[in-house]
Amino acid sequence: MASELQNLTEMTEKFSIDPVYETNWCDLSEKIKSKCIGKMEFNERLSLRCTAKAERSLVDSQKNEFNEGRFEGDDEKFSFFLNRNDDHKYSKRWMYINEAFELLKYIKKVGTFENLEISFSHPLTDRKHLMTETGLLTAKHVKFYHCNNDNMFAILRKMKDGVESIKIHLDRKDYDQLDCDEVLAIPQVQKVPNLHLQNYDQTDSLRKVAKMWIKKKAKIGTTFQLSVNEEGSFGEFTQHFSNRLVSCTDKTIRIRANKLDRHILLEHGPFSDQFCVIPQYFRMMVISAEMKESEYDDNREEWIGNMDPASDDDFRLPGFCYDDLYDEDYDDYYRAGYDSD
Amino acid sequence: MSSTEQGTSSAAPAEPTTAPESAAAPEVPESFYYVHGKDKVVHKVSAGALQHSALIHGMISNLGYTEEQAKANPFPFENIDGDILQMVVDWCNQHKGKPTPPEDTNLPKQKEKLFDLVLAVNYLEIKELLTYCCKQVAMMVKGKSPEEIREIWMIPTDAEDEAAEKEAKKRAGKEAAGETAAAAGDAK
Repeated sequence: MASELQNLTEMTEKFSIDPVYETNWCDLSEKIKSKCIGKMEFNERLSLRCTAKAERSLVDSQKNEFNEGRFEGDDEKFSFFLNRNDDHKYSKRWMYINEAFELLKYIKKVGTFENLEISFSHPLTDRKHLMTETGLLTAKHVKFYHCNNDNMFAILRKMKDGVESIKIHLDRKDYDQLDCDEVLAIPQVQKVPNLHLQNYDQTDSLRKVAKMWIKKKAKIGTTFQLSVNEEGSFGEFTQHFSNRLVSCTDKTIRIRANKLDRHILLEHGPFSDQFCVIPQYFRMMVISAEMKESEYDDNREEWIGNMDPASDDDFRLPGFCYDDLYDEDYDDYYRAGYDSD
Repeated sequence: MSSTEQGTSSAAPAEPTTAPESAAAPEVPESFYYVHGKDKVVHKVSAGALQHSALIHGMISNLGYTEEQAKANPFPFENIDGDILQMVVDWCNQHKGKPTPPEDTNLPKQKEKLFDLVLAVNYLEIKELLTYCCKQVAMMVKGKSPEEIREIWMIPTDAEDEAAEKEAKKRAGKEAAGETAAAAGDAK
């Protein structure tokens, strides 16, 4: 026992750190500093990394986890909004694109996003920054809102694997320019479990996505949601896959995939009223071949509401037509939901 | 709460006050240990409270000390200031056997004490308290500019760092030259 006690005393003495007077940040080990940096918000981290080289490398060695990130820009200004949680927000606005891209480059390096929204509505003349940058963006859910198509394609190709959903909300001015084939050729889009296309204006997307799924042997649960401002998608799909048809009603079509254990189910959403048949809402899913019709999720209003929250109330308005919404006021109203802070 | 005693580690500690046990529960005597910091003030702390410290818990888990042995052999933490050790002991007692809350507002706000506390807590391996302390450190620079942070935390600029490094090299070179000359003198 005596020797044990002796060892113990020696042990505590050996562990001892030198007496420290006027202790400060520089007295902390890199490990503790890193832990403190982990508790700092983005703005403070940016400030700390400007103090000295050693602090910069410490700050840059840590990831910033953001709940939300929003990057917006037009031909005049750029703004970034980052939100770690409700209490900690960072936002910045620039007049010069190069300054904005310097920060974007840094954010790509250190940031991971739960939800990322991109809205670069004008073609970026200096898009080389996005195209040639080797860094990848890390995000779970990505949304493109009224984003220029070329900007969107460039960013999509820069997404790191692991994206769970991609939502493309097309601008009314742009939707006839989107080439579905070009979107579906992007590997990140091919792999994503949830793809959502809103305001599309052609009838080809359902069959093209289903074709891609069949070719790529998409997993059960993979989902595509669509709101389209043109009639004919349902008929085009039925015609295209007539040789694969398992069942067909006025609301659903079920087709075989190449893998025997899975089918593709397409559901047609309801129209807002008998006079207005657009937008049309669709949900398409890869399902198990074993799934019975009684097991279909029949709550269409719910999935349409989730897809397009603005549609929820609109369905209840008599004589409502979707085109009525498309004016400046609606656009301002929609954005207000995001710009409340 | 802990009892503290001025003077040497061999001073007799006060008896602990314990909450009345329920009639149904069998009474398990709680064991106590003793720690002191730089000021030699001995703190009596229950094994339950010390469980927060992975370092001390690791030390005592296989000791099987009797009360007398524990009293006679307080753990010396000469590197920790007395008031800082007191803070740590108080925190361990307050959070004995309780889930730690997400925030702790009782931590010191003064820069020097907080950094000393961080070092002590890190050394004693008290994970939850270290997390609170690091958060408090981060709060110190909330909304501050790089210049303000540099001032608050006394972070030298790169130029100052380089100058200090140069100076250190110069000094080391001089010392090495001096040692070589001395060795040559000895050889003669």
